Amino acid sequence: MGFGGRMKKGKIEMLAIFFLLTCLLLLFTLFFHHHYMLTSVVFLTLTFIPFFIRFEKKNGSGRELVVLAILAAVASVSRIPFASIPSVQPMTFVIIMTGAVFGIESGFVVGALSAIVSNFFLYQGPWTVWQMYAWGLVGILAGLLKQTFFIETAIGRVIFGIVTGFLFSWIMNIWVVLTMVQNFSIEQVLVFYASSFPFDLSHALSNAFFLLVFAKRWISILTRFQKKYGLLE
Amino acid sequence: MDYGFRNYHPLTNFIYYIFTFLLIMLSQHPFFLFFTAIFMIFLNYLLDRGRQLRRWGKFVITLIFLFIIITPLINHRGSIILFYVLDKPITFEAILQGVINALTLFSVVALFFTFSFVINGEKLLFLFSKYFPNWALLTMLSVRFVPLFKRRLEEIRRVQQTKGDAHERSIKRRLKHGLLLIQILLTWSLEDGIQTADSMAARGYGLRKRSRYIRYKIEKKDMVLIILMSYFTGISIWGWFLGDNILTIFPILEPYFLQGREWFFFTNFIFLIGLPLLIEGKDAFKWLCWKRNN
Repeated sequence: MGFGGRMKKGKIEMLAIFFLLTCLLLLFTLFFHHHYMLTSVVFLTLTFIPFFIRFEKKNGSGRELVVLAILAAVASVSRIPFASIPSVQPMTFVIIMTGAVFGIESGFVVGALSAIVSNFFLYQGPWTVWQMYAWGLVGILAGLLKQTFFIETAIGRVIFGIVTGFLFSWIMNIWVVLTMVQNFSIEQVLVFYASSFPFDLSHALSNAFFLLVFAKRWISILTRFQKKYGLLE
Repeated sequence: MDYGFRNYHPLTNFIYYIFTFLLIMLSQHPFFLFFTAIFMIFLNYLLDRGRQLRRWGKFVITLIFLFIIITPLINHRGSIILFYVLDKPITFEAILQGVINALTLFSVVALFFTFSFVINGEKLLFLFSKYFPNWALLTMLSVRFVPLFKRRLEEIRRVQQTKGDAHERSIKRRLKHGLLLIQILLTWSLEDGIQTADSMAARGYGLRKRSRYIRYKIEKKDMVLIILMSYFTGISIWGWFLGDNILTIFPILEPYFLQGREWFFFTNFIFLIGLPLLIEGKDAFKWLCWKRNN
């Protein structure tokens, strides 16, 4: 269960993946520089699969499994009270809180899982994979920055909330842009991003607001729970 | 009981969606995409009488028009100039490009509407439980919690309502109130979840490798369909490689009506896209005959 013991091995794996991706990036820019779709899908899968498999190989306890499932379900349900306010939903917030307390891996798992679960009640589609990626990434970032300036202080949280809010929306925009692969120009992409900007902004601001007002309480709730039952430490 | 396309093995269905998605992305030709869009509308009507499509209709139509209008306003490449807006040329090529983009987006969205009808949650979990048993179990647990949490959330909301209504407040207070409900839900459910987990342990979770119930079997008809789909897709990819599935717009517009060899690839493409329509149609026809005879 311990995450610390494998930290060194994890770091080597991370470096190996990083190296592989750099090589691929060079390869793609040098030889296949018009296949944006192919390139991005290959990159997406390669950065994503190791985390996915890592969790699959791990033999967690039943309690840990249930806690992760509950957090993802809470994230999916958390949209409901905000249904009347467009593009405001605290899913990103719940995922950040998970990462900030339970660490990188749990952050990723809950991020990816809540994308699958919430689409179970909406529609599965190519966007599910992108949401898994985007929210998984948010969870990983929160885990990485756990107990640093960005999670501990109010200003840090506001910055982190805005950045991750935009990060999520911008990653989600990529899939629409990629659907029009052929002949799109940089202006078109910019106009598309500009037209979605108000929605992205409201998501980012609400995310920062939730982090500013609720983060402390949520961290203490989750930490207490973690200590009480000795989970995911 | 499922019938028609839904009656096939989940893997067969899944392969159809992967191939079709791939071919929609590859075949950037208005003629190809127009027929894809029409087929997708038909498929939506056959599977759920187009309810989902109508519900999202307004949004989808807005998006399509946005693409068709905005693309020529930004993209001024091309040689067939139709008219000028603010001294900028509006070209036929750019409008065509906008139409292609809009049709692609529409086809993908409509395709994945049908995905949810054909491959429901149970089938999706079946597909992944073989290779990712941990993820499948986790997803199942989580999906089960969602309806429960919805009920709990409603309960919490009612209790909180007795302390004062949240509707006429400022946006800030509404956000606070909303997340407070979620916070109550979190603490309640976490404590409750320990019981679920202990119950899992009591029934032997983690003692041995988990077995799984296999409900679906690959039959002969699945094999036939998979081979057919692979054949059509293979030919289509070849067509894409030859450039017949793509309408070259820039720098010089090629004739947009199909000609010669392109008809072959078009027919081939349409057969793949239309396979579920054929199957559904065949079953509906059988049903009709059966009803008439009785």
